[in-house]
Amino acid sequence: MIWKKQGYNICFAVIVLILALMPLFLSVGMISSSSFVLFIGKCMAYAIVAIGLDLIWGYTGILSLGHGLYFALGGYAMAMFLKLQATNGQITSFMQTGGMTELPLVWKPFLSTPLAMVLTIAVPAVLAGVIGYFIFRNRIKGVYFSIISQALTWAAYSLFTGLQSYTGGNVGITEITSIVGSIKGDANRAHMFTLFYASLAILVLIYMLSYYLTHKKFGKLLIAIRDGENRTYFSGYCVSRYKNFIYVLSAIFAAIAGAIFVNFNGSITPTQMTISYSITMVIWVAVGGRGTLVGAVIGAFLINLCDYSFSSGTMVEIWQYILGAIFVVTILFFKGGLVGIVRDQLPELTRKLKHKREAN
Amino acid sequence: MSEKVLEIKDITVDFDGFCALLNVNVNVKRHTIHFFIGPNGAGKTTLLDIICAKTKPTKGVCTFYPEGRGSVQLTGMKEYKIVGEGIGRKFQVPSVFVNLSVMENMILSLKGNKGVWQSIFFKLSKQDEETINEILETVDLMDKKDEKAGSLAHGQKQWLEIAMQLVQKPEIIMLDEPAAGMGKPETFKTGEILKKIKEICTIIVVEHDMDFVKQISDRVTVLHEGKVLIEGTCDEVLADETVQAVYLGRGGERNAEDN
Repeated sequence: MIWKKQGYNICFAVIVLILALMPLFLSVGMISSSSFVLFIGKCMAYAIVAIGLDLIWGYTGILSLGHGLYFALGGYAMAMFLKLQATNGQITSFMQTGGMTELPLVWKPFLSTPLAMVLTIAVPAVLAGVIGYFIFRNRIKGVYFSIISQALTWAAYSLFTGLQSYTGGNVGITEITSIVGSIKGDANRAHMFTLFYASLAILVLIYMLSYYLTHKKFGKLLIAIRDGENRTYFSGYCVSRYKNFIYVLSAIFAAIAGAIFVNFNGSITPTQMTISYSITMVIWVAVGGRGTLVGAVIGAFLINLCDYSFSSGTMVEIWQYILGAIFVVTILFFKGGLVGIVRDQLPELTRKLKHKREAN
Repeated sequence: MSEKVLEIKDITVDFDGFCALLNVNVNVKRHTIHFFIGPNGAGKTTLLDIICAKTKPTKGVCTFYPEGRGSVQLTGMKEYKIVGEGIGRKFQVPSVFVNLSVMENMILSLKGNKGVWQSIFFKLSKQDEETINEILETVDLMDKKDEKAGSLAHGQKQWLEIAMQLVQKPEIIMLDEPAAGMGKPETFKTGEILKKIKEICTIIVVEHDMDFVKQISDRVTVLHEGKVLIEGTCDEVLADETVQAVYLGRGGERNAEDN
């Protein structure tokens, strides 16, 4: 009974527990390299953006193929702040190459710590709010929304690679030390663990917030919008306002994820703004299981763990094909993803087997 | 009884040259069951679309006369605001939220503030819960309260949707073919439910089933090719020769087949 009611939360708690033990495993030597822990840190960022995507796609039925945009914006904002910390407010080398002699105006707010933190969230949130306002007010939905979200991401990518002296162009912003100081090497393990647990705490908070929202009337309304948008309008709700709200919220989650990612990764590049990166995020949610929150977290970890193990060695060439195949099979046959298989398909299978045994 | 609650005035709808409705004038009186009947393509559903602002008329206005307030012009308003004014709509296809329970469906339909923050911090009050229970009792769905709406039978979904209209405490509810796809006993039961509801609001119904019209109608408007053919009580309308020619002839055949 408790499993039926709290199954998702129990799953999430187990994941959190395993994550919390990671630094311990490293200390006792069960994990050989600290780079693996750094990778798990990045996965936590991915899990956060996946939760956001699950809110708008899994619950509300809006498929955004452009959440990499908000992820990258959050990442760039954090990177600009950290870069200025590293250079002591001096201009960066790519600015010098671009012929600049002093810090451009858009970089100046990132000299201040509180302002930089606010902007990391505010810039993507405001952008999503404005975009969402026009899209949803004009009742653009379904595949048209997906195409627009993709086009916007592409436009932003072109802009960021084009403005080389402002953004570092194709190279991006590199050689960043994290917000708590350097996390490279054994000497800086304390820093790394601080960053790791802070990120884990944020992941837990975001999960709890999302869980709260989806279990209130608000969450039921998101499902109502997904299943019958017209009916929801005729129940007296301004659907576009709800859509915009959840779109902005998921953009904020993506931005927070991007900011965490930069801390672990030590750099941000326009790759994070490509369309394929955004689509990969959608795959995490689909494979893990839509509309369950924990499914998104599982998907983000699982796909990236596979990616991590296969991206070196013989599998590297065919891994992308396997990933594509997994996505297609999930969409066609397992709409509920992995969570759905455990929740729906497995019980059915065991029931069928039982029937067969009884018949024999 | 004789006070009007809705005035449809000179409504014309032109879909790129095809006149779905042409100069339609109808007054609907409070606490009546008002039927719109007519052959397919007569413009019945379009008329409902006009009232609840799903479609914009080319010409004409709809005015709503709420109880104890000044009149409200519906034409040009947003559909969700019209719901707030007290006009509910049930669609032709049963459209309940299939992945939510019957209770959750009802909660979402409750009258009240429908803003984002209100939904986040929403708590069901004792009073609202009682109202919902009462209405579920009326439509005979009390024992299905915690079941998913998607698992209900077709007729039960229709009743749930009617219940969802009622919980908004509307002054007018519009029903588009509430008896479609129902068997005779279910249709009869729907009629009895509507008679009960009539005490608290005005009901506008679009329907094909003539037995159903005979069972509960107070007033019938016959539409034909976008125009009002005749309006009157059920008996008056049935006695009219033109009506028999354009509509009942075919309806009679269909009923004969059913029997």
